[in-house]
Amino acid sequence: MKVVATYNIKGGVGKTSAAVNLATLAAQDGLRTLLWDLDPQGAASYLFRVRPKVKGGGRKLVRGRSDVTYLLRGTDIEGLDLLPADFSYRHMDLALDAAGKPTRRLRKVIAPLGEFYDLAMLDCPPSISLVSESVFDAADALLVPLIPSTLTVRTFTQLGDFVAGEVDRPPRIVAFFSMVDGRKRLHREVVATLPDTSPDDVVQASIPAATEVELMGVERAPVVVSAPRSRAARAYRALWDEVRPRLGV
Amino acid sequence: MPLDVSTVSYALPEGVDPPALLAYLDKRFPVIAEPGASRAYTVLDTADRRLRAAGVDLHLETGRGGHRLVLREPGGRPPLVADVRRPRRNRYLLRDLPAGPLRDRLRAIVEMRALLPLATVRVGAQLVRVLNADDKTVARVSLAFPTALAGGADGGGGAAIPLTPRVDVSGVLGYPKPLGDVTAAVRQGPKGGLVDAGVSLADEAIAAVGGDPQGIRTKVRVDLRPDQRTDRAAVAVLCDLAGIVEANLPGTLADLDTEFLHDLRVAVRRSRSVLRELKGAFRPEPLATQRDALRWVQAVTGPTRDLDVQLLDWDHLVSAIPVERHAALAPVRALLVRHRAAAFRALRRELRGPTYRHAWDDYRTFLAGDLGATGERPDAKKPIVEVAGRRIRKVYGRMLAMGATIDATSPATDLHELRKRGKELRYLLELFGGLWPRLVVKPMVRSLKGLQDVLGVHQDREVQASYLRGLAAELAKTTVEHHEALLALGVLVDRLDAEQHEARDAFAERFAAFAAADQQALVGEVFS
Repeated sequence: MKVVATYNIKGGVGKTSAAVNLATLAAQDGLRTLLWDLDPQGAASYLFRVRPKVKGGGRKLVRGRSDVTYLLRGTDIEGLDLLPADFSYRHMDLALDAAGKPTRRLRKVIAPLGEFYDLAMLDCPPSISLVSESVFDAADALLVPLIPSTLTVRTFTQLGDFVAGEVDRPPRIVAFFSMVDGRKRLHREVVATLPDTSPDDVVQASIPAATEVELMGVERAPVVVSAPRSRAARAYRALWDEVRPRLGV
Repeated sequence: MPLDVSTVSYALPEGVDPPALLAYLDKRFPVIAEPGASRAYTVLDTADRRLRAAGVDLHLETGRGGHRLVLREPGGRPPLVADVRRPRRNRYLLRDLPAGPLRDRLRAIVEMRALLPLATVRVGAQLVRVLNADDKTVARVSLAFPTALAGGADGGGGAAIPLTPRVDVSGVLGYPKPLGDVTAAVRQGPKGGLVDAGVSLADEAIAAVGGDPQGIRTKVRVDLRPDQRTDRAAVAVLCDLAGIVEANLPGTLADLDTEFLHDLRVAVRRSRSVLRELKGAFRPEPLATQRDALRWVQAVTGPTRDLDVQLLDWDHLVSAIPVERHAALAPVRALLVRHRAAAFRALRRELRGPTYRHAWDDYRTFLAGDLGATGERPDAKKPIVEVAGRRIRKVYGRMLAMGATIDATSPATDLHELRKRGKELRYLLELFGGLWPRLVVKPMVRSLKGLQDVLGVHQDREVQASYLRGLAAELAKTTVEHHEALLALGVLVDRLDAEQHEARDAFAERFAAFAAADQQALVGEVFS
């Protein structure tokens, strides 16, 4: 099982949209896929119409006292299951801190699921914290959505340095541009230059700022299902086709 | 692990049409009917249906995107899929499949057997999703109207044969209660309720196109009575074995996989064993002719099987030498493949030729005909339990005597002779062991198998090492770059020798278990 986390220190950059749509595409491609909604806001759980509730909460889960298989929920997408969010995840940092070897905890939680899934997609909350460090330890790859701006590029560089310097088993970092507005000159310039300067880390495919993506909350379905021929859906498909070989799934 | 979700399959009774069932469900649950869809696939399995035995369904789906294998396990978990090329020679071997979870799963079940198309099925289906209060899917009901395509296993454009319409109710992980509610409702459905489909769709389709859902058997299935006449019991077993030979002949000639030939040879060897051990049930003359004929079949098929064993063991053997020297062995393997191809051509020529045809017709006539007056057949009328028991006791006793003389200095031929006797005993126990209590026969077979395993390794390594040594001279003639190959070949032969020594070292312990006093006493008591 490959573990891939959608991560960015900032919120509102398209992490959940990417996790939900790419996990759906992976399942449609025949990969047995698990999506873990780690964000206490529970947006991914909401989109899949699953109650954001985990029996025993985050504390019991990270301490290894819950049988994680009992917490899984099938989604409407065949081949895609969800480990739902829980509001108690807002205290997951504290729960991890109280447990031994906190940065290894999330890896231990999903390890027993390795025989059932080809891909585990972790939808992370925005922050840099013990939760993120535990995600970095668990993940084989980080999928980082970037809104095209100079500061975003700087943050991305900082993330790369942190992961390379602080994580024992550093995951591969794969970034893509998200919420790209082609009418903005800065967006066009950053999108045009960064993939060429960092071809190993930044893919060519990008996700446009699109109404269909925003409407996912209304439709309560991934855009690749609710509007499969839309520009956004095609962009997610192109992104998946480009990142899949890099993720090794 | 509670990751499984059930799928229950019901037969749709006559007179219940999809709209009626949909209306029935709609009254009881919030449902959404998806647009109807149709799909076609080919059921794949090994000739002996190993996937069926493991509860696994494997389909080959062909579409505009190419060919795709889909493997489903019981429990409704997401299937394993892999994109594949069009099957070559109408089969897939493991080596034809891309690396990944699907191939890994199949490897554990099918081993060296080929995956063959057994039936082509077309299914028109109507999917109904059952929703909860959040409009989330919590169960699925599928109404399927399948047909099998006649015209052979690969559905070569023949007519569609209607199969039983089905209603499949599937759960969604984490939502067990709705599944129970929907299942109960469907079970009580319109027109007095639905009943379990019983037979799987794959089995029904295979039977519809003229195949045997059970697949080719390797084990003999004959119900013997202890008081049955020995000649009749022997003929019943021999007829069953002849059927196994005939079932494996087409696959052997088509060279679909190595196991057709293996199973054919085992059935022939068992037949020879019955004729030898129960010879008192037959007249000497036709018996000698038939034994010669079966010996000839073994002889013309032997070289191919020996080379199959070499090639099947190849990966295990080369794992003994460093990876960087594997390339040096490529000419050796190529030579083995060439030898095997030549041996197979000779085998096919013989098994397609008049000698085999006449010999087999004659053998079948012998089995079906009058065995002659019992004056020349002293065991013919005796109960099979008496004659087979006597032979088991005798062969066991002879093995004890032979094994007791074997020590570290004994030649390899002594172990080989003991192994041959062991095969006789094993076949007697496998074919006639059902006449005695299982509690007695099973431990005896187990200890015999333990002994035969080491004797088998000993003999196989002897034959393999001898063959590879013989290749050295030929290799020198056929390749310029033979020095590296010869060195690597030497390592392989050393490994074979080492494994043969290990087998010999293990012999004493295995033989001691086989010859244990309590087992000897049991054999004397039970088979007297």
